[in-house]
Amino acid sequence: MSGTNSKLTAFIPNAHDDDRPEEVLKDLEFGRLVSKDHLYTSGHPVGKPWPTPIDDEPPYIIYIATYISYLILILIGHVRDFFGKIFKPSEYEDLVEKDGYAPWYDGFENFYVRRLKARIDDCFARPIHGAPGRYVKCFNRVREGKTGYLYSGDTDECLNLSSYNYLGFAQSHGSCTDYALNTVDNYGASGCAPRLVAGYTDLHKQCERVISDFVGKEDVVIVSMGYGTNANFFASIADSKTLIISDELNHASIRFGIRLSGASVKVFKHNDMDDLEKLIRNQIAQGQPKTHRPWKKIIIAVEGLYSMEGNFCNLPKLVELKEKYKCYLFVDEAHSIGALGPNGGGVCDYFKVDPARVDILMGTFTKSFGATGGYIAADKSTIDRLRLNYITYAYAESVPPPVLGQIISSLSIINGSINPGEGKERLQRIAFNSRYLRLGLKKLGFIVYGADDSPVIPLLIFLPAKMPAFSRILYDMKIAVVIVSYPATPLISARARLCVSAALNKDDLDYVLQKMSEVGDLVYLKFSSGIAGGSKIPGQPPRQTIEEVLATNVEDCKKPMSG
Amino acid sequence: MSSQAAFRNGGPVPPVWDLVTASLADTFVRYLNHLEKIPGGQIILRYIKSSYKNDPIRSLFELALFIFACHYFLSSKKKENKADIVRFSPKEIDELCKEWEPEPLVEAIQPLEKWQLKSVPEIVGHNGAYVNLEGHNGKVTNLATLDFLNLNHNENIKNAAKATISTTGVGACGPPNFYGTQDVHVRLEEDIARYLDGEKAILYGQDFVTAGSVIPAFLKRGDLCVVDSGVNLAIQKALIVSRCDIEWYIHNDMEDLEKVLKELKPDLDKQKPIKRRFIITEGLFSNTGDIANLPKIVELKNKFKYRLFLDESLSIGILGKTGKGIVEHYNIPRTEISITIGSMATSFAASGGFCVGVNPMVHHQRIQSLAYVFSASLPPYSARVASQAIKEISILNSEGNSEVISQLKAKTQFLYEKLTKVFANSAYISIISDSSSPTIHLSLNPSFRSKLNFPLQYGNTHFLNTGKMAKKVNPFDQYHNLESYILQSIIDEVLARSNILITRSKILLEHENLPVSNPHLLINVNIGVSMEDFARLANALNEVVNSVCSSLQSEADLIRLNETLAQ
Repeated sequence: MSGTNSKLTAFIPNAHDDDRPEEVLKDLEFGRLVSKDHLYTSGHPVGKPWPTPIDDEPPYIIYIATYISYLILILIGHVRDFFGKIFKPSEYEDLVEKDGYAPWYDGFENFYVRRLKARIDDCFARPIHGAPGRYVKCFNRVREGKTGYLYSGDTDECLNLSSYNYLGFAQSHGSCTDYALNTVDNYGASGCAPRLVAGYTDLHKQCERVISDFVGKEDVVIVSMGYGTNANFFASIADSKTLIISDELNHASIRFGIRLSGASVKVFKHNDMDDLEKLIRNQIAQGQPKTHRPWKKIIIAVEGLYSMEGNFCNLPKLVELKEKYKCYLFVDEAHSIGALGPNGGGVCDYFKVDPARVDILMGTFTKSFGATGGYIAADKSTIDRLRLNYITYAYAESVPPPVLGQIISSLSIINGSINPGEGKERLQRIAFNSRYLRLGLKKLGFIVYGADDSPVIPLLIFLPAKMPAFSRILYDMKIAVVIVSYPATPLISARARLCVSAALNKDDLDYVLQKMSEVGDLVYLKFSSGIAGGSKIPGQPPRQTIEEVLATNVEDCKKPMSG
Repeated sequence: MSSQAAFRNGGPVPPVWDLVTASLADTFVRYLNHLEKIPGGQIILRYIKSSYKNDPIRSLFELALFIFACHYFLSSKKKENKADIVRFSPKEIDELCKEWEPEPLVEAIQPLEKWQLKSVPEIVGHNGAYVNLEGHNGKVTNLATLDFLNLNHNENIKNAAKATISTTGVGACGPPNFYGTQDVHVRLEEDIARYLDGEKAILYGQDFVTAGSVIPAFLKRGDLCVVDSGVNLAIQKALIVSRCDIEWYIHNDMEDLEKVLKELKPDLDKQKPIKRRFIITEGLFSNTGDIANLPKIVELKNKFKYRLFLDESLSIGILGKTGKGIVEHYNIPRTEISITIGSMATSFAASGGFCVGVNPMVHHQRIQSLAYVFSASLPPYSARVASQAIKEISILNSEGNSEVISQLKAKTQFLYEKLTKVFANSAYISIISDSSSPTIHLSLNPSFRSKLNFPLQYGNTHFLNTGKMAKKVNPFDQYHNLESYILQSIIDEVLARSNILITRSKILLEHENLPVSNPHLLINVNIGVSMEDFARLANALNEVVNSVCSSLQSEADLIRLNETLAQ
């Protein structure tokens, strides 16, 4: 892919034409399955209690080093600010009053961004082109000024562990693409108006029917943005006399939506069902603050798969609690729908819980289906009400036709009505890949969080300086990963978030494990204690060599992992 | 004091007591001596000893103080309502849990509202100027869609969409900060910034979330904004979330705006340091179809040193000779507008929203704006379509005006004049939107409305002129429901008689935080529609309005209508 164009431009250049044969390009978007052994069906046996995933702890020295690192960074930042304001006042113009106008933002609010994140800006928002499938093509760029970049026009093709592409539908070839292209011809490219006005077509109706069949709910509404699905949803079901009990790690869109609804909020410890039960009991007993009138209703809001932790919610227990205490249950399946369960039906499918027992299933199409937008699924009467009072549905643009085409075709592949067998293979590949990479990393000695079957694998880095190191070295080895830290995670536990995809095959994962192992040695990231599994001898910290890992990992990853 | 002395000298105390105290003192001293081993412990030890010798009561008092301080610092600070909490035994809680009966998750649909569910038109196949409708024979002229420039039918637009989909797929598969930014996104940002003469632009995945994400990124607690009281729901919700101080001015009333700014000035002059201040308005108001008096607002904002937030969702790609919005309409430089937001789902025939302004403002959003950070990017094909739409709009005619915008203007003017003529002496309908608005708002006449006893405004009619809006949900309003129903009857009848689809304001009354004006009939001009159809519409509309409204002469007719709906 690399060309010879060496002239740097401030505007994004056109990517080089890709003249490789179609078969090669297809393979670069969705890798060929190497062996039938590399398949697995995910699911949790009914009746067996769901174990709390074990979060391993690093040696104390790591914590101390992390705090010291931040201390140094903050100190240097303040020193630079202090002298900078004296010697280079022009650079601080945005932070001081000017002609009687307040600065755009407060210096303190901006300190973290300016003095910490700015140092590793190159690890974020790297522009790409082409489908972010098995490989992602990233533009090379060099820093220019404080916020700008210069582009050479060359691109690097990296193995993609960063995109939300669980089932590998980020493709520009195949049935889905053909279907989407068809919708452009037959329906146009735009939704043209909000749904209630003139943005509703027969394609929307068809799409909603396909989704409601897939998630197992009576009816569904779809809207054009995943974040917008939650952000304006809770106002439709909750008011100030409603209590919403929310997991402390719920996504920003859920928190925003709850804030907008004006409902009372109580937060329970992440995934802690005992804490939740205690909270529900107390709240029912106490009722509303001051008046002590009983709550009109109580809604429990959780996510199916937490995208920063790789944890599932404990759905069987949640359903039991909600039925026992007559609460309503809202599950955000943004990451889990499509990615989990033997049929891709999300957490309900994974835990074999009847979807009818969950009041509201919300999900998005960005992650597993290669589309965009979100849905709310519930029983008929709830959805009818939403069709009359759901803000995003009434005011925002309707879902554009190509997106509908992508959703309908990808769901049809998953349920087997288009290309029978392909959907099943994708589901089994993501299940295998997730377990294979996770166990491999554990065996090598990395600390990874989350459930065994989770396609999101947070690999803990802790030290701020190791984040850019990890990201840049891997990028040089042609592996694209996402690093996250504060504010998306606690300050102390910076991590790399690896998103596994069905588009990867075992050879890709072996390459990833090999390179990760090298990087892990180089920047000292192998410090797990072994309590989360991966040890050859139980109780000992796992530090297997890459050869040992690769020799046994295919069989091992299909066995229970922890302990 | 004296009793203490007596105690120490072994006065009238039984020997057993002596023994106990002695052994206690022994153990205490032994443990106390352990303190020596801790660094700095000796100092504490010395202090305790000397303090005890001087005055044992003081030692006791100090110990009590120490325990209190520990308790104070260790206890949680959040338990301010402790007195409010009633103590229950587990058994009592069990009882209460058993007794508690929650309300249903949502209210069931009332018979009175049922017609609303059915009133949403379902287009079969391609959306555009002429469409097929479910349950209707033959082609229908579509004057309801917001695709004013009919670009959804444009072949270049379709080819742009198809070219991108066949190299990139449909979704972006990631947030902008994590490999979700495609070259087409960056290019569109560059295109929008260039097109609108702004420094930088940033994209959002949906137009409706843009305001709600941009405003809270800059307006924090303690900041101030002066807001037009006719703004749309997106801005209302944004203001609620931002928690800033709000002052309102009467919709589009510049004298009132000046009055408000003058009243605020003395307090603001004393402010140290200065807080951020904004004037917030829409360009072309979506609720009323009138246009903000931008020259005056710009003059005032410069005089009183406010920044201007302008929602151009309905004016970019519509107003101005090359479609650059209300700013071009009034010939004001874009630099006067601190924050411009707009929509790509209307004239641009794509989807999503954007925000334009200076670099530090835009850059701040890339980390601090929730809908940008926590959401997947716009689909790449949509970005490409919007870029192409800007190109299409920028095709100029011989007079240096945009070709498509000129058509839109001509057609809007034609229809506006036709309607003005038709409804000049109408007892029932008047036009209330600005003549340059391609969304023509028609409202029932005030006199007709008062005959039917419709209220002047709906929803939260008690208008606050300062501070936060009422957050509570508006209850179901029978009159609003009926007035909407009357308009829907007109729409249905126009469709049946002349195969033309128009629409009405479809606001969600229960979520509107500001007072809501009466519902309007809306006609969205589309340049794909022929002049003959516009003429046909004007005549048909007049006939239908007369036939529908003439059957309603008093409130008694309304009550009868309500009863038929309830069945």
